[in-house]
Amino acid sequence: MPQAAERKALEKGLRKLNENMVTLAELSELAIRKAIDGLTRFDTEVAREVFTLDQEVYGLQLEIERTCIDLIALHAPVARDLRTITTSLKITTDLDRIGRYAKDLSELTLQFGSAQARPRADIARIRDMADHTIHMVDTSIDAFVKRDAESVRNIMEVDDEVDRMHDEIFIDLVRRIEDRTLDTESGARYILVNRYLERIADHAVNIGLRVVYMVTGDWLPRIRAADRAKRYPKPTSGGTP
Amino acid sequence: MNLGAFFCVVIALIPLGSLLFEATVRGIRSISPGFFALTTANGGIGNAIQGTLILIGLTAAIALPVGILTGIYLAEYGKNRVGAAIRFFVDVMTQIPSIVVGIFAFSLLLELGAIGIVSSRLVFSTTTGVIALSTIMIPFVARTSEEALRLVPISTRESALALGIPRYRAILRVVLPSASSAVITGALLGIARVGGETAPLLMTCLGSGYWFEGLDQPCESLPHTIYVFALGPDSALNQAAWGASLILVLMMLGIAIASRVVIRLRAGTR
Amino acid sequence: MPPKIHTEKLSAWYGPKRAIEDITLDFEEHAVSAIIGPSGCGKSTLIRCLNRMHETIPKARAEGKVLLNDEDVYALPAVTVRRRIGMVFQKANPFPTMSIYENVAAGLRLNGVRDRDKLDVAVLESLKQAALWDEVKDSLDKSGASLSGGQQQRLCIARALAVRPEVLLMDEPCSALDPIATAKIEDLIFDLRKDYTVVIVTHNMQQAARVADTTAFLYLGKLIETAGTRELFERPKETLTESYITGRFG
Repeated sequence: MPQAAERKALEKGLRKLNENMVTLAELSELAIRKAIDGLTRFDTEVAREVFTLDQEVYGLQLEIERTCIDLIALHAPVARDLRTITTSLKITTDLDRIGRYAKDLSELTLQFGSAQARPRADIARIRDMADHTIHMVDTSIDAFVKRDAESVRNIMEVDDEVDRMHDEIFIDLVRRIEDRTLDTESGARYILVNRYLERIADHAVNIGLRVVYMVTGDWLPRIRAADRAKRYPKPTSGGTP
Repeated sequence: MNLGAFFCVVIALIPLGSLLFEATVRGIRSISPGFFALTTANGGIGNAIQGTLILIGLTAAIALPVGILTGIYLAEYGKNRVGAAIRFFVDVMTQIPSIVVGIFAFSLLLELGAIGIVSSRLVFSTTTGVIALSTIMIPFVARTSEEALRLVPISTRESALALGIPRYRAILRVVLPSASSAVITGALLGIARVGGETAPLLMTCLGSGYWFEGLDQPCESLPHTIYVFALGPDSALNQAAWGASLILVLMMLGIAIASRVVIRLRAGTR
Repeated sequence: MPPKIHTEKLSAWYGPKRAIEDITLDFEEHAVSAIIGPSGCGKSTLIRCLNRMHETIPKARAEGKVLLNDEDVYALPAVTVRRRIGMVFQKANPFPTMSIYENVAAGLRLNGVRDRDKLDVAVLESLKQAALWDEVKDSLDKSGASLSGGQQQRLCIARALAVRPEVLLMDEPCSALDPIATAKIEDLIFDLRKDYTVVIVTHNMQQAARVADTTAFLYLGKLIETAGTRELFERPKETLTESYITGRFG
């Protein structure tokens, strides 16, 4: 039957896509782990490794895009296949961004390394936030690989926590700069680090949401917005909605 | 293989060829105006031709409507047990030897005459002849009509019904016209068939040396004339028999050609 | 808004063999509804039960309700039902002995309409609605068989529309046509929904995805799932539906 043969090609394509996605995810996670490791230990060697990883990530992302477009053009996928392919397409952007931020963090590491004075400030909080961020990246990528929607259903709440930490750290850094416990240059760099970590966490959230969509078809932001609208209806000029 | 098949075709055509040849060569001598103007009593075949035409005309008038309507019934409504039974009987009737049909008509009129429903004079009359020929022609036309209607694809019927047309109208105004050339061909072939029947006429309308005298009188016909002329001792009449044969063959040929023309014409208008 | 057609536990048999089982389904007015499913799942049987065409097959019977605007289709005369619910078949079959004009006018003529002006207007409008007028307006008395496959099918659509039905049933109307002819007919179906309710049976899922507002999936005579087309093709609820539309059946 012709249908079965077409599916074989599609299946093969989907398998290849999945392999590449997993590789891409692992590369991205490795990049961010190395970047944060290098940053916290001021290790410029590790930082340089991240640049190579980012290149690989970018190249692989392009290949995956190509694969997704081919699958859509040739097989007119529907339902789960469609969701898997479009999700992959979207997630590669997030993973690529994570790799890019890893590279940016590594650049900061190099800049720190050439600084005259190592900052003495206690950056435990940043380390803490970095751990949270890595954990989010790890969870969402794991959910993608295992096709597990449950583990990321609450990812938006975890992100709220990270956002809070980001705001606190920012205020703290500004204070330290103002009362000179941290030099301006390092302070500025740490503000950037703070920012990058928060953005990486956002991307991890995106990945998590897309995984939920891929597996169940639910797009949580829309559902949450609808819920909120139901619970807190906007006041209208006349009558009830 | 091809050569063998061709050879067989030649063999098959030899009788037909020689028949046409003989009939033409021998019969042509009899053709003259007098041949057609004189009655069989006087050595011509005028009344025979007249008789044959009247017989097949009346038979067609009866058998065509009845046969075609039967064919319509069998094709359109006869998909059940009753239809199957009727179809079987009709098939059997097409196989009945024509002399048996003749005896049937003869004895039917005999019985009716004995009971007094009709005059017993009718036993040997045109009427009986028409009854016999109709009994042969009706099943034939019924079957050819049924086959013709079956050739119309189901989709045509369905499309007509899907327009909200009552079934009988769909059949008469859409299906039957679609099958018309096949039905007409069947009708013409049926006419040709009964035109050449001899045996039933022997026992029913007998023969007569005179021009047509009435439905209740015996009636001459070409096959009967050929039979009588050919077997008689008079050699002039033997010759006339060939002439009559030629005429009969030409009539049958004419009908066959007419049916071809009808098919061509209808195909051409598409 | 009440549905145009509502079936309630509709079942149908051909002799002893059950073809569809307990199908309860709505068809919305002024919308295109598609019925999809593998061969033999009962799609054609289902729509034939809607305009009682299944009755033309010997030994066919149906149970359950079919309501057209809340009227019981099986309580009305079959002829009336078929005038209000028209049908177009898989293989285009213009009446062979009739011209293009006569084909389109056939439904009206054979129902007793004689007024030449009325017929002219009906033929013009129907051919326009079937997107065929421009192509045949100068050859209305040519035979229906002189048209191409796609044109013949549009002719059959015009013929069905001429009697002004409320609903148009289409049984795989494009399966014998090439992609261009198919596209033309799909466009015309899209436009028809303004004035008619369309139910289309198709084995081509992409076609259902392209033209239908609602899609119902049938399997082995049962209704498995029905939903808005986008919903059904993006996130079907039933595993069986998903298997079928992703082509992983069997």
